[in-house]
Amino acid sequence: MTAETEDESVRVLDEGGAVELLAYLVTAARTQVDEAAEYAPMRLLTAAGRLAEMAEPNASARLRPLLREIRQGCSETAVQAGDPAGYVERLDALCRTVAEYLVRSLGLDGPP
Amino acid sequence: MNDTVLHAIRTRRVARALTDAPVGHDQLRAVLDSARYAPHAGNRRLHRYVVATQPSLLRAVRMVSPGMLQRPTAAIVVCVDWEQVHNYGFSPANPGPYIDVGTAAATLLLAAHSIGLGAGPVTSFSRTALATILKLPAGVRPELIVCLGHAATEQPPAMRRQGGPGWDDLIQWERG
Repeated sequence: MTAETEDESVRVLDEGGAVELLAYLVTAARTQVDEAAEYAPMRLLTAAGRLAEMAEPNASARLRPLLREIRQGCSETAVQAGDPAGYVERLDALCRTVAEYLVRSLGLDGPP
Repeated sequence: MNDTVLHAIRTRRVARALTDAPVGHDQLRAVLDSARYAPHAGNRRLHRYVVATQPSLLRAVRMVSPGMLQRPTAAIVVCVDWEQVHNYGFSPANPGPYIDVGTAAATLLLAAHSIGLGAGPVTSFSRTALATILKLPAGVRPELIVCLGHAATEQPPAMRRQGGPGWDDLIQWERG
């Protein structure tokens, strides 16, 4: 399925992109064994940013703003030690943005 | 006083964003040859240098290198021939081969900077995956990648940390 439909089921990732992310995640698991703990969230955010970048061209109009926010909120060089309180605040803000999208897209704010 | 070298050292930066423009063969050769002049203890020739320029190969290298933020148009992978290290008589705990990776990397980065290329080192990658992708001989392990290309105008911010010691706090003059 390549076109947006009623249920917003849109294919946003091609096989090449999926393989790229897969390779990144598997090798990041290995490198993280030897790296400082503060690199773990940075690697995950990089993966999220790359997924958002790959998905954006084919994403629905409803999803695109979220992908843009994720990309903007994922500085690939930010670490917790740079600004410990601000780092957690930015992550929480990003989590809140994702959760608000889920509430809207899954229709959770209406009557049960 | 001729401060050309000091100026190059002080103005070199890690390029984490590179353009699509290719690195010329002569430029690549010049950077690569600089490693010959890096200070290697004993001039033992225990290191190997693998050059990647094919886009598909570079893409695969990046896929298994989580620390590679940039998309290089060329890369030099500094490897250690651990079989030769063993034959030379080094114990596995001897840090010498790693120290020489560092001197080679510093020289390569500075050489790239001196001819106007953007460059950045990467050490966060799967050694096993990269050795497989590069089809390295048994016993030869990749230890550091120098990404090469042309630096983009906009760069991600440098990694910043709060607190920590100042530069002078890291220096001890004479006996402590």
